[in-house]
Amino acid sequence: MSLKGKLKIPNSFMPRLPDRSKTTMQKKKDADGDGGEIEDEELLTFHFFLGIGRSDGERWPTDGEENGFFSEGSSRLRTLFRIEGKEVSLEKRSELEFQLSQNVINLEVLQSIACCGDLDRDFRSIVWKLLLGYLPTQKHLWEEELVKNRLRFSELKREHLVNPVTYNFLLTISFISQSEHSAEDELVNSTRHCQDNDTGGLLCRREISNGDHPLCLANGSFWNQYFKEAMRNILLLFAKMNPAIGYVQGMNEVLALLYYVFRMNPEGEDAVALLSIIMKSAVEADSFECFVRLLSGSVDHFCQQLDNSSVGIHSTLLHFSQLLKANDEELWRHLDNSKSDIVARMMNPQFYAFRWITLLLTQEFELSSIMRIWDCLLSHPSGVQDMLLRVCCAMLLCVRGDLLSGDFISNLKLLQHYPKVDLENLLDVAHHLIPITSPRPFGIMP
Amino acid sequence: MAHRVDHEYDYLFKIVLIGDSGVGKSNILSRFTRNEFSLDSKSTIGVEFATKTLQIEAKTVKAQIWDTAGQERYRAITSAYYRGAVGALLVYDITKKQTFDNVQRWLRELRDHADSNIVIMMAGNKSDLTHLRAVSENDGQEFAEKEGLSFLETSALESHNVEKAFQTVLTEIYHIINKKALAAQEAARNSGPPGQGTTIHVVDSSDAGSSKSSCCSS
Repeated sequence: MSLKGKLKIPNSFMPRLPDRSKTTMQKKKDADGDGGEIEDEELLTFHFFLGIGRSDGERWPTDGEENGFFSEGSSRLRTLFRIEGKEVSLEKRSELEFQLSQNVINLEVLQSIACCGDLDRDFRSIVWKLLLGYLPTQKHLWEEELVKNRLRFSELKREHLVNPVTYNFLLTISFISQSEHSAEDELVNSTRHCQDNDTGGLLCRREISNGDHPLCLANGSFWNQYFKEAMRNILLLFAKMNPAIGYVQGMNEVLALLYYVFRMNPEGEDAVALLSIIMKSAVEADSFECFVRLLSGSVDHFCQQLDNSSVGIHSTLLHFSQLLKANDEELWRHLDNSKSDIVARMMNPQFYAFRWITLLLTQEFELSSIMRIWDCLLSHPSGVQDMLLRVCCAMLLCVRGDLLSGDFISNLKLLQHYPKVDLENLLDVAHHLIPITSPRPFGIMP
Repeated sequence: MAHRVDHEYDYLFKIVLIGDSGVGKSNILSRFTRNEFSLDSKSTIGVEFATKTLQIEAKTVKAQIWDTAGQERYRAITSAYYRGAVGALLVYDITKKQTFDNVQRWLRELRDHADSNIVIMMAGNKSDLTHLRAVSENDGQEFAEKEGLSFLETSALESHNVEKAFQTVLTEIYHIINKKALAAQEAARNSGPPGQGTTIHVVDSSDAGSSKSSCCSS
């Protein structure tokens, strides 16, 4: 038995338009007190959707203004300027842009671009969605797909997450103001924080101190509060829909990276993203879908009942060990039975690689490196899990000298706090590993 | 990064940190080994590992501490970490009754997977949160006496009793080992080669200049 590919997402229900657009419009009106302004914005949205958006920059505030870090207009504008003005003329970047501008995107080319490390961070969000199969390769289907998925997500949320606890949570959460909207509205738009300024679910720049960082874990962090609610929704929904797995610590790390990347560049889908007016809830929906897709290949690792099955974590660890043996038998032998220690004779991969594998390396490197590694994981033709084991194995090979000269204690410390290494070299080593002869069915690549 | 094989200790004791998720195991470890505390630490996935060397009755003892994940899912995997452990710090949170109630389950876990002679210290952590207390010190004490465990209330945040908790466990282990070693020497003198069922504690003499020993190794 395996849970792979059996993650539950109900596919069919009526694509019923929620009152979201209306509500948001209403809120805009309340906040701005000016109906004409809204019409203008709607018009712009529409123009953009038709690809004839204004590019004079007059309409949107600049970064310094209060409208927020993630103000959709300003970041979109920057991208547009760059593309139209050919400000960036890196060859690879152009190749990526060219690929993304095609009506039908060639996934193989995209894979090789991402693999080589030529993924500009501005495009990471959209490329990951393509690589995960969330966005279809035919561009004309994007809009429909995204709208459908986002609606589905909000339906799921309404169905699964609105319960007395959520209700009370939402009522008591400190950010929710004493607005005139009914509690029902709040639930529908449960992702909103900054009601005072009504930036459509965006963070308000002035509320964020300079010392506050998007990955800050402190409870007092605005970023943290902002992210946490969306993350909580996604994880809770996932757990409710997959009771056999539930929530396992560490899933948050995997989700956080997706959410972070999608959040930073929501303009990836361009006009379509603008259509879903509450950007944050769109990002939440995208993250959820991609999280499910990503996890469908490795969800068995989170499941205790499957630990000793052929798909469980122990089997994967064994596979990992075999991969090391095939590529560096000396190191494998040394780790497998380094007798320099009396208490623990064996350097069980479980002691270090368990976390590497279950969390897709999200705790082992700094953020920029993790994103780069994920570019490779998501774009490897043989699948995320296969490439993951390759990277893990390369991690050992890259500190081979230290491992061979170290004893059990120093080796374990080294591997649990993996040192800074040349990342491109590490990935290169990973790509060139000899695969083991008896391949296990891996992969979630669509 | 320099790596050297470390032989500069007399004894090496393996200690496991166990208890429910969120009781503060990782912070107890970081307080003890690095004198650090973080309010926002991440959940432990699998196991984390740290060491600290300290003096016990003029001997250098190296504590090898395995901080395990508390969440139920990880428990099945955790059992592998008990192998060779001679001491355990079983932690609960004094502000969460459930974590104290679960101590019984953790003891069963130890009985199932660890050496039967393992030295156990129960620690009621977060003693600084007096206004949220849900388990009285008395209840902890009584339970510990009933189960034959050592007991202390600790606060990783205030650095209260953390060092003492480890020190107590390690000293107790040291005494047991010393006693056993003496008894074994005695037995060896009296009866020549050891008979069946005798526990032998090997003093590794292959490493010149050091006399390492450990117990419960397997």
